[in-house]
Amino acid sequence: MNHKYEVLIIGGGVVGCAIARELSKYRVSAALLEKEMDVGMGASCRNSGVLHAGFKYAPGSLRARVAVKGNALMDDLCRDLKVKIKRIGKLTVGLDEEDEPTLRHLKEQGDTNGVPGLRVIGREEMQKIQPGVEGYIALHSPSSSIISPYSLTIGLAENALANGVNFHLGQRVESISQQPEKGWHVRTAAGEIFEAQVIINAAGLYSADVSRMAGVDGYTIYPCRGEYYVLDKRLNGTLTALIYPAPKKNAPGWGTHLTPTVDGNILIGPTAQYIKEPENHACTPDILRRLRIEGQKLLPAIQVSDYIRNFAGIRAKQTPPEVGGNKDFVIEDRKDVKGFINLVGLESPGLTASPAIAQMVVEMVGNHLSLVPDPSFNPVRPGSSDFFSELSAEEKADLVAKDPNYGEIICRCEKITKKEILDAINNPLGARTIVSLKYRARASMGRCQGGFCIPRIVRLLRDEFGWRPEDFLKRGVDSPLFVGNVRPEGGQA
Amino acid sequence: MSIKTIHRDVVVIGGGPAGLAAAIAASEAGCKDVLLIERDRILGGILNQCIHDGFGLHEFKEALSGPEYAARFINRLPGLGIEVMTGTIVLSLSPERILEVSTRGAIQYIQAGAVVLAMGCRERTRGAISIPGQRPSGVYTAGAAQNFINMENIMVGKNVCILGSGDIGLIMARRMTLEGAHVEAVFEILPYSSGLPRNIQQCLNDYNIPLFLNTTVTEIRGNGRLEGVKVAQVGKDRAPIPETERYIPCDTLLLSVGLIPENELTRDAGVAMDPITGGALVDDTFMTSVPGIFSCGNVLHVHDLADWVSVEARDAGRFAAAYVHEKREASRQRITIKEGDGVRYVLPQSVSGERDFILSLRVTAPWRNRAVVVRSGDKKVRRKKIVRLHPAEMIRINIGKDALAAAGGSSLEVSVE
Amino acid sequence: MSTKEFTCVVCPNGCPIVVNIDDDETPVITHIEGSTCKKGEEWVHQEIENPMRTISSSVVVTGGDCILASVRTNRPIPLGRIMKVMEEIKQVTVIAPLAIGDVVLRNPAGCDTEIVATRSVAKAQ
Repeated sequence: MNHKYEVLIIGGGVVGCAIARELSKYRVSAALLEKEMDVGMGASCRNSGVLHAGFKYAPGSLRARVAVKGNALMDDLCRDLKVKIKRIGKLTVGLDEEDEPTLRHLKEQGDTNGVPGLRVIGREEMQKIQPGVEGYIALHSPSSSIISPYSLTIGLAENALANGVNFHLGQRVESISQQPEKGWHVRTAAGEIFEAQVIINAAGLYSADVSRMAGVDGYTIYPCRGEYYVLDKRLNGTLTALIYPAPKKNAPGWGTHLTPTVDGNILIGPTAQYIKEPENHACTPDILRRLRIEGQKLLPAIQVSDYIRNFAGIRAKQTPPEVGGNKDFVIEDRKDVKGFINLVGLESPGLTASPAIAQMVVEMVGNHLSLVPDPSFNPVRPGSSDFFSELSAEEKADLVAKDPNYGEIICRCEKITKKEILDAINNPLGARTIVSLKYRARASMGRCQGGFCIPRIVRLLRDEFGWRPEDFLKRGVDSPLFVGNVRPEGGQA
Repeated sequence: MSIKTIHRDVVVIGGGPAGLAAAIAASEAGCKDVLLIERDRILGGILNQCIHDGFGLHEFKEALSGPEYAARFINRLPGLGIEVMTGTIVLSLSPERILEVSTRGAIQYIQAGAVVLAMGCRERTRGAISIPGQRPSGVYTAGAAQNFINMENIMVGKNVCILGSGDIGLIMARRMTLEGAHVEAVFEILPYSSGLPRNIQQCLNDYNIPLFLNTTVTEIRGNGRLEGVKVAQVGKDRAPIPETERYIPCDTLLLSVGLIPENELTRDAGVAMDPITGGALVDDTFMTSVPGIFSCGNVLHVHDLADWVSVEARDAGRFAAAYVHEKREASRQRITIKEGDGVRYVLPQSVSGERDFILSLRVTAPWRNRAVVVRSGDKKVRRKKIVRLHPAEMIRINIGKDALAAAGGSSLEVSVE
Repeated sequence: MSTKEFTCVVCPNGCPIVVNIDDDETPVITHIEGSTCKKGEEWVHQEIENPMRTISSSVVVTGGDCILASVRTNRPIPLGRIMKVMEEIKQVTVIAPLAIGDVVLRNPAGCDTEIVATRSVAKAQ
């Protein structure tokens, strides 16, 4: 099948989705290709869910610019897209006088970058922000925040879709060619052809490959895995701010830290380990053990039963293991390859920067097409950022009165209702996997990890939508949940 | 919208074996206003999916399947006039015994005279025991697989490995074999099985399914569906021995690695907990540290047999009814009970000394021909010889109030000698 | 001759029993050690000479408020016939309603047992 668009975005991570949403403000025909069966299946939803303030990046760097600007754009964006965000701020804590120059330097650097509200504070004030924290001095960055990375990525995608951008899921790009006069010709593994005047490479871990396909060599991505533990909500409220140790010169190993999530869990991690396979999201025994030991040191209240899950995300690094550190983001409108906007190595702070990157990229698209604002653009995504379980008893009663499906709890750990499950499965992108459901409705993300609710969700989807055993997939077509029926189905007599 | 509040004398949370027995006992004890709340569409709880037999040997002197065992109790509810709310979940519970409940179409508050917690337990997951590796589909807790196969007519896999030799894992090894799956093996990290000997024989040996002790799963492989697991023997510290690691291709891994009492509501209500059982601290009436809130069954401590759940829950239900009628305060005189050598936990953790009671306990290791001894200081209260002592099996011992009074003292210690 | 180990399931004592067996066509027990009671010995003899088992499974229901009904044997069957009995159970379809104890299959694989429902199924609304 052939599809024709003016602009084609390759990659449905948070950056690709942000670009799609930014483009949807204009009268331009655009589409996004994603190899997985949903958006946000890579690093975009496998991270700490932190918005960085931007004081860590060298002044004048692209990373500094897009992080600070992206962070500032988030309040309005989250309000419009119904994304949960909590401006809890961060304390970068120094343990003794030796850390003071480092923190002062970070503050100056942050001020230069335009980071708002940075202050170096003493012990007393530090403990007002996070009771119990130990330290001599700290840099407080109020714009450091936590956010739901799932809601952000999905919210951007859904709003882009509502405003006219097409999403083609399960389309892995196999080859790209450019034909004189006709523009770009993108072929996917499913055998479909997409034609476009401008293509945007937002392929994350595969950005170097896509770049090469489009005729731009010279980039390499070194996948670098970070492992995490997720802690039970029992510890919700223990952390009132993000707490990071002051960076030490020649520090041994990686600085494990704790991050509260907007949904009330705490994460331990991430670690950093270069790997060969770009998508091996395995967690490894030695690292898990270290995370438990370090986590316990940072938060002695952790009990064995608080570890409910571990997971891993993979950074798209441009620096090989022997070099380490980071390179600046590549965001370029290639002059040598016309109509190719190339984004390579967008690791942290990609989530924070995504709306700013999207603005930059759309400006670049304007170099190739005339962009006319679309007056019918609606920035608002319907729905609520709060889950039913987060409402007051009165608000709950109102919803239940309107729709009794709110009165039926399917996921007991997270108290997710039948209505929320149905809404999630009816999502506008048409993503139908168990992980899609989890990222939208939180079902199975609690302490029983789906042991209780997945059988009930399966029953619900079978009863309401006639799903058969083979229709249930965890993430993709290669991850079926079941092998079939136990007995041939009897049905209704 | 305003929310209405209703009043009930005894509210039982959970319609499984514990809740059913507790509600019936409360009613039989003379309470005419008993409400039983169940979150599922039907009563019976986990019994509904336990279609194997072996239930009721103690209660009914015959071997029943789970659904039959449940039906024996459920059938008595209408005659006793016990009110039942199915499809109803308790969202919160306050120390004043106010429940916030959600049913299709309504949220309401229930002010209870007494509450019996009977929510049961949940299965420990892969995440909880930190099995390393990738996250493919095909990894299930044994109970979830049991639900799919026995309730939903869905087959979860063809080539199966099972981690953990708990009874649900053993039962599922047989069940999947009977339905045409190939069960490769059962792996148990401990040096002994945590299942009943009968299940080892009839679920594994009968079908030539090997059980590897001192062995665990060290890695899960597969990007989409499970492709295989690595297993290794473990040393005395339970750490895997790398040289013994081997790879077994399979498309399904079932986990039967323990049960966790489901006590989120209990914590809500501010009830003091026992870190070993994972359940509430209770006295000899099964009352928790919060007056009027009682706990029984697997939410209190994980039982080996459903029959013992019923026995325990009957007591809890009876005392809950008595609490409502007598407005009894917690008795002031308390004798605490502590674990001694060889004992992992004891229950109740404190008693009044006013009545006979049953001491439930579990031992720390398997032994034969030992005695469980209850002492107050250096005075012996009770000594019971037991032929087979096993960590997977609960031990129940009657303690008489006269023996207790004769020994005196304010604390008891229970040990294996 | 071979040696077999058992854990007795007759009572909670769970005695370990070691048995020496003559491996002729019909096994003959030559020696038992470990059993502390007569019942245990009888059980081991039964286990070796003609082990009997009860089994549980499910059958498909049409027109009911659920799709499967659990069933079991109401008398033990020879261990060696379990798979044959399962084959017959798999063929059974019953029509709702169904009550506990209803016979859904008689004498499967020639065994002296009935397959009975262990849950009731109401007609679908």
